[in-house]
Amino acid sequence: MTSLNLDFSVLDRPVRKEADELTSTLENDVLCGINTHDQYFTIPRVEDFSRFQKDVVEHVKPQHGTTTLGFIFEHGIIIAVDSRASQGPYISSQTVKKVIEINPFLLGTMAGGAADCQFWQRNLGIQCRLHELETGKRITVTGASKLLANTLYGYRGRGLSMGTMVAGWDTTGPGLFYVDSDGTRLKGKRFSVGSGSLFAYGVLDQGFRHDLSIKEAAELGRRAIYHATFRDAFSGGTVSVYHVGPDGWTKMSGTDVGELHYEYYPADAVENPERHGGGEGDIFVPKKREHEQNREDGEKKKDSSPEAMET
Amino acid sequence: MQDPDAFDLGGFEFSASSHNAKEGGFTSKLATKTGTTISGVIYADGVVLGADTRSTNGETVADKNCEKIHYIAPNIYCCGAGTAADTEAVTGTYYVYFSIFQLILILKGMVSSALFLHRKSTLRESRVVSAQSILKSHLFKYQGHVGAALVLGGFDIHGPQLFTVYPHGSSDCLPYATMGSGSLAAMSIFESDYKDGMSEDEAKLLVARSIRAGIFNDLGSGSNIDLCVLSRAGTKYLRNFEIPQERTYIRAEGYKFKTGTTVINKRNFQTATSTTTEPKKIL
Amino acid sequence: METYDAVGENNFNPSSYHGNHTKQHATWSPYDNNGGTVMAVAGEDYVICAADTRMSTGYSIMTRQYTKVDEMSPKTLMASAGFMADAATLKKLLKGRCDQYQFANNKPIGCVAFAQMLSNTLYMRRFFPYYAFNIVAGLDAEGKGAVFTYDAVGSYERTNYSCQGSGQQLIMPVLDNQLKTVSPLVLPAVSSATPLSEEEAIDLIKDCFATAGERDIYTGDAVELFVMNKDGIRKETMPLKTD
Repeated sequence: MTSLNLDFSVLDRPVRKEADELTSTLENDVLCGINTHDQYFTIPRVEDFSRFQKDVVEHVKPQHGTTTLGFIFEHGIIIAVDSRASQGPYISSQTVKKVIEINPFLLGTMAGGAADCQFWQRNLGIQCRLHELETGKRITVTGASKLLANTLYGYRGRGLSMGTMVAGWDTTGPGLFYVDSDGTRLKGKRFSVGSGSLFAYGVLDQGFRHDLSIKEAAELGRRAIYHATFRDAFSGGTVSVYHVGPDGWTKMSGTDVGELHYEYYPADAVENPERHGGGEGDIFVPKKREHEQNREDGEKKKDSSPEAMET
Repeated sequence: MQDPDAFDLGGFEFSASSHNAKEGGFTSKLATKTGTTISGVIYADGVVLGADTRSTNGETVADKNCEKIHYIAPNIYCCGAGTAADTEAVTGTYYVYFSIFQLILILKGMVSSALFLHRKSTLRESRVVSAQSILKSHLFKYQGHVGAALVLGGFDIHGPQLFTVYPHGSSDCLPYATMGSGSLAAMSIFESDYKDGMSEDEAKLLVARSIRAGIFNDLGSGSNIDLCVLSRAGTKYLRNFEIPQERTYIRAEGYKFKTGTTVINKRNFQTATSTTTEPKKIL
Repeated sequence: METYDAVGENNFNPSSYHGNHTKQHATWSPYDNNGGTVMAVAGEDYVICAADTRMSTGYSIMTRQYTKVDEMSPKTLMASAGFMADAATLKKLLKGRCDQYQFANNKPIGCVAFAQMLSNTLYMRRFFPYYAFNIVAGLDAEGKGAVFTYDAVGSYERTNYSCQGSGQQLIMPVLDNQLKTVSPLVLPAVSSATPLSEEEAIDLIKDCFATAGERDIYTGDAVELFVMNKDGIRKETMPLKTD
């Protein structure tokens, strides 16, 4: 029986370098070894590493929290994400770019630790570029996602926190993979990841059809993320929607969730009959809903001053 | 204490403590340690008490000008500081946040009422030792759970008196005393410049200086200096005796917003009575 | 083998990392919090990086004249709050790297490259982080103001303004209220530069620090403002309350 000669070096635990090896070239210094597998991470010398990691996380509060989704349909892939980052109960940013543009044909999404996602997806970008330079061909989505999954598997148990989707278009057509820091790698047609994923799934599964048009699909992604931001305190900010097609990805839209809220739920649509005084006593005067009003006014409403908006 | 109701005599509720012990002990994350500087000194004719006016909740200043010198009797006042060990016993009540101030207020209320009744029944001026012994026996009974640290001063038939009372119920009788997180800073001033038989002005300035040391060198203390002078001539409560520092910058323009900064999506008027004017006219 | 034995009162629980056989220095922690607030505001053609100068531990002030802002290159300022020993070590390392960059490329490192380098450097300590919360401020290749804001393990983002440290919760809402512009993620893209002039921004920053100094016990003593524009870097100092 011939044994397969597989290269498992990528699965090796990072090795602590000898001191003289550390006197590295400038490139390595500036890149901090970002493009190498035997990276030099400072490891605390403790026996109970995972306990230490748990305490460190509690102490430095890395950025967290997200809703992301991606699905394959007739005309390619839609990726939609929110943009909020939180550190504990504090919203540390409302403008995080959670779609990482690995190359013109590959996208990665970000959920879990912000630094982990930013660093390792940048690393993935480098690995994909090196693959291109070596083989002269663009890497497949399958290959790219496996590179990431293998890298993450090498750090299993070290406390990385990532839930990511790798989406792209290659010779086989659209590809979508879920990869996380446990080493899981799943091929699929529909994923949602992050603290708000269940809310997004609800809307997504309800509205999904394979034959959606690109516009409809983008709207479904946007709506699903919006509704996740509505229910999940750790999601919010801006909804970004990307489409991946045979010619690579394009950003379809970026919309503030506040504006989406009033788009989906116009302010006056809330049942709240106005009660007028001045002789009318207890008579309820039914009020015209704003979207009915809008239909009548057409575009006029948008230009008018706030004072003119009263009903 | 198996059945707390069987012992419902008021006061603290300890029934959760045995449960907490089983869970490996309970430490309150909300425990308010009131950073404070309080001090007092005896001079020729009386006693001067002093306190800063900062009240903190963790790293945040909760009150920039609170009062820490409390009335006990017309001739007796008491400065309060403390660590809120008591919060462990009284979670779920408002004590959690304002524990130490609340406790000192309760204490002072308890002591001042007792002394008031005593004065009415004996027709004699209250004595500082009476306040001291009520306080320490109460604190001892609660074994440190009432985490009050006090500087008690007054002027009675025996002349000027100054005591410190610790959370567990011990006490000292001293010519000069400090308490709270700024106590070391304040004590450094007394240790270098205290003299027997100072004049009132000297004593006031010395106490003010000791409080200032706490204000500037202890992060838990800050803002202004309150003093209280108790002597044969009577009691002078000198609220904000010194304001050592003002804010260093105020924005000239303030913060103004143009009308329409907040977009109005809808207006909804509901008149309180049927006789008011039409909403439209208000606009 | 030299063992790490530690852990501190409020942050880390003693002994537990070692099972029950070794228990040394039970109260020691690798980290401390030295307080302090840092912030930065970027404009169309300027950037301001500011920090208070108080350094403290617990209820004690260690010094009232600690500069938390450093000039890392002619176009890059860096301010750190958190644990000053980690921040100082980090800055020392980065300054060395900036020098190496200068020697290799015969030009000083730009703020955008520096920002990425800081992120990588922080991430190298992903499993034993620098307890430092950093802001990088500078002028980019086009001369526009840039602010980069970080978490402790290297996640970063370019913004127009940021604030970190003990006064963050007090100052950030004010900055959002005064300076927030349309998100750069929004399509169609809208220009999102800070609407203030340099003088107005200085005025706002001074007021923010005076306000934070009133309510945050770890912010005080003085505020140092480093103003960077096409003419270079100018330093301004304003006293704060010292209580």
